[in-house]
Amino acid sequence: MRFFRRLSTPRSVSRRLGRTMLAGLTVLAMVTVAACGGGSPKAAPSQDSKELTVWVDAARLPVAQAYVKEHPNVHVNVVTFDGDGNGATTLQTKIQLWNRTGSGWPDVIFSEQVNDPVWMAQKPFEFAAPLTNLIPADVLSQWPAPSTAQCTINGTQYCVQDNLAQSVLWVNKKLMTQFGYATPTTWQQWAALGTKVATEHPGYIVGNIGDSFSHWIYLWGNQCPLQQLNGDKLLINPADAHCTRVAGLIDPLIKNGAVPPLSVFTPDFARKYGGAKDKVLMMPGPSWYAQALFDQTLHIPAGQITATAPLQWESETPVTTGQVGGGPWIIAKHSHNLKGAADFVVWATTVFNPTGKDARPGYPAYAPLADPWLKGLASSGYFAADPAPALKAAAGQIWTGWNLVSYPDQPVWSNTVVNQLVSGKSLSSRLQPFGDALAQAAQASGYTVTRQ
Amino acid sequence: MRLVTHGVRLLILAVFAVFFVVPIVWLILAPTKSDEALVTHGPFAFGSLHNVALAWQHLDAFSDHIYRAWIGNSLGYALGATAIVLVTAIPAGYGLALSDFPGRKLLLTLTLIVMIMPAATLVLPIFLELNWLHLIGNALSVILPFSFFPFGVYLAYIYYATALPRDLLDAARIDGCGEWSAFRHIALPLARPVIALVFFFSFVSDWNNFFLPYAVLADSTQYPIQVGLSNLLSSTPSFNPAVGGGGQQVGIFRPELALATLLAIVPVAIVFLASQRALVRGLVTGAVKE
Amino acid sequence: MPATRKRGRHAQGLLFVLPYLPFLLLFGILPMLYALYLAVTSDTGALVGIDNFTRTIRDYRFVPAFEHILIYTSVWLVSLVVLVVGLALLLHGRAGRVTSGFRFLFYIPGALAGASAVLVWLFMLDPSVSPGSSLLRLSGAHLFVESIAPGRLPFVFAMIAFWTGAGGWIVVMYGALNTIPPDLEEAARIDGAGPITIALRLKLPLIRKWVAYMVILSFATGTQLFIEPQLVNEASLGLVPDTWSSNQLAYQLAFRYGDFNGAAAVSVDLIVIGLIAALIIVRRTGLFRTEE
Repeated sequence: MRFFRRLSTPRSVSRRLGRTMLAGLTVLAMVTVAACGGGSPKAAPSQDSKELTVWVDAARLPVAQAYVKEHPNVHVNVVTFDGDGNGATTLQTKIQLWNRTGSGWPDVIFSEQVNDPVWMAQKPFEFAAPLTNLIPADVLSQWPAPSTAQCTINGTQYCVQDNLAQSVLWVNKKLMTQFGYATPTTWQQWAALGTKVATEHPGYIVGNIGDSFSHWIYLWGNQCPLQQLNGDKLLINPADAHCTRVAGLIDPLIKNGAVPPLSVFTPDFARKYGGAKDKVLMMPGPSWYAQALFDQTLHIPAGQITATAPLQWESETPVTTGQVGGGPWIIAKHSHNLKGAADFVVWATTVFNPTGKDARPGYPAYAPLADPWLKGLASSGYFAADPAPALKAAAGQIWTGWNLVSYPDQPVWSNTVVNQLVSGKSLSSRLQPFGDALAQAAQASGYTVTRQ
Repeated sequence: MRLVTHGVRLLILAVFAVFFVVPIVWLILAPTKSDEALVTHGPFAFGSLHNVALAWQHLDAFSDHIYRAWIGNSLGYALGATAIVLVTAIPAGYGLALSDFPGRKLLLTLTLIVMIMPAATLVLPIFLELNWLHLIGNALSVILPFSFFPFGVYLAYIYYATALPRDLLDAARIDGCGEWSAFRHIALPLARPVIALVFFFSFVSDWNNFFLPYAVLADSTQYPIQVGLSNLLSSTPSFNPAVGGGGQQVGIFRPELALATLLAIVPVAIVFLASQRALVRGLVTGAVKE
Repeated sequence: MPATRKRGRHAQGLLFVLPYLPFLLLFGILPMLYALYLAVTSDTGALVGIDNFTRTIRDYRFVPAFEHILIYTSVWLVSLVVLVVGLALLLHGRAGRVTSGFRFLFYIPGALAGASAVLVWLFMLDPSVSPGSSLLRLSGAHLFVESIAPGRLPFVFAMIAFWTGAGGWIVVMYGALNTIPPDLEEAARIDGAGPITIALRLKLPLIRKWVAYMVILSFATGTQLFIEPQLVNEASLGLVPDTWSSNQLAYQLAFRYGDFNGAAAVSVDLIVIGLIAALIIVRRTGLFRTEE
């Protein structure tokens, strides 16, 4: 044993280590007992008809909690998740795994990605339940026609929108009065104003085109056919006059800086145009810009911003506009409690409408709730003038010629167009590559694409 | 001459230290500023401690104190799995390094191959296995896969293969020690550095693991902190415009996100400091003298 | 040594490995075999040979993704190995409080994984708010979108990956250097060797196995790049594609399109590359050989 005495570490250390391993095993044992004790999975699919599992994002949690309060005899299991927003694949991942094991589906899902119902309704996911027999037709008819059209895939309605994100023209009334400008009503007037601003008040902007969804504002709103389903064929035609004329209108503004190719959410935008700088004169954008952008991100002081009606192209009618979001509610086909699920969805979209700071996040898609919500918005004291008329008008003007598809088109816009706009290329020169890239993405997702 | 090389050495180390530390300093200062100040004031401007308190209030209020649950979950998963890892990986490394049994090379090869498999394709089969074992939704569905830590086995293997001289064990065996005794009384005490290494690598790997818990856990109250942070990210209007308008109720903006991130680093820092003490030089000193 | 003793040692060695085996089987080998099975079958389970491979190679994102990771891995691997080994050797020069302080600073970014780092890097890469704005502007980027322009991405990702990953490897290498008996160093110093000679001629060869291990794993980590492009994708709200790297493509195939077979095929492509590299390194450094 003489070598043992030579060791620099005494026996006590090995004893200590032995004890550590014993402690480790004890921890393991405790963990195992705890895990097996609380073994039943928490988010089990409803087995009996009085149970409901609802998946919501953080912003929709108040709705779910309010439902639970109002319906004490229904056992609702509320699960919060990331909302599958911003191009995530959370729901695709989860549904894949649930499908492969044959269990785990919730009854109701709220999604932040407006095109989620499109792939949910089709193979290989086949998750969404048709709503025609679940929600009465007289209730469904109260959603604006474009909203219902968005939720209709292959002729059947699979979702209802919780809120709309119609695009309007946001205007800084204070600055407009200060500079003595009149609010434009057409795209032409808007462009002319932009050119004027670039010379008279350089540094001020009338819009931006660097967001991942900017094409939904400028191209969708102006009826550019880049995502038009005709039967089972997808039309992607960037050479159409509706597209090229918009590009022609905006290009000079990108060049002279009145419509920079920046994203409104990056710090450099806020530094250049927000807060104290207060350089946003106008901005075409969705209804939710009101709080999320102007107040919370750009920190523009109260009493300056208001909304005016979407811009018209020359004198063409009807006036159309685009949409940036608008989350849908989806009911699971595999739900054991379809009736309860439908009841929840209907309540969440047609009844829940608190006032004050607990108000619904987003313009209610269900038309009868819009008026009281708009009143609440106007009374918040943030706006220079009541944005309600503009928002209300725009709700029904969303162009139905732009269909939702199963693949995300925002990254294609960002990668083929915005990147190049930043390095100085014109929008007109990027339309064709944009269309080509969209066609590739569409084909990879199984669409049959026509280019004219 | 000595002084010059010493000075140059310190300079290089300092330059790299700045590279590593500056973003962390930014992160530490971020919760002291308001969301607006984050963008308009300089990166190293100090706001106020009051802002930190506000940020914590909002963070804690998010989804009924779910942040605390997330931290607790991470601790449970990481510690539980690391305990199992220590019990399995250290002896395995020892066995692979210091004895020669049929299949030794095969095990080493398989362990290496599995280590370089991309995680995306492993998630589905692991999910199916866990489902077959009826563990989906259970904490074990995270702890058991985490307990498989081939990186730790290799660390132990390389350590034992290079740092422990075979003569020492041979001498012990000549003296009449059994295999288990030799392991317990010689190999294990001398393995303090690698035990410390395996402990904190396993802990940190479990702490930072996103994809497995994301896939197997359905209830957000069971999430570990990484998945929770990505949830928080999705609730921040500037990262997820789609949540737009809900921000005022949800109350999560960039300072809250920064605070959440910062607090999530603290356990890792503590574990690192604790295990560093075991990384002492010359533990094998004198063991083979004469 | 008597034959009975030797045989005894065989069985005993296996006993030490036994607790590890069920985990290796359940969470390593079986899933890997399943992934291989997926790679050669269709979604109905029918055997289709190399169909999935040819199909995914023809995907319009496949070749760009592989080009990206080729450039990335070259930049990343070289800088990682050189800098990690270099910094570890520098740290090891003189042990003490100072070096453990540096070690902590080098390591702490490793705690910022994935989602946690999105916020940090959004601000670090934006020249208007970044502490490193002068460096960014020097390199020609005045806007956030410019600092993440497609041509810069391999370097941006390599920088982020180095920032998060180097610390851990420095710790491992430092631990490896600690296993060198100080008498050897003493003897060399007495013989008149300078610090650089000691580092390169004495210490470096002695930690050969550890460096080999690091190169194998880092090569695999490099080719399987996922986290960094994913986090910049999130920070930039989609300006950087979510199929920039091959691993991201595999992930998208699996989870966005439900094409697990295609995803498995791409993953097998990545493993094969990693294995070839591993084989070369194992052979040349004798990683599997134990001390003779």
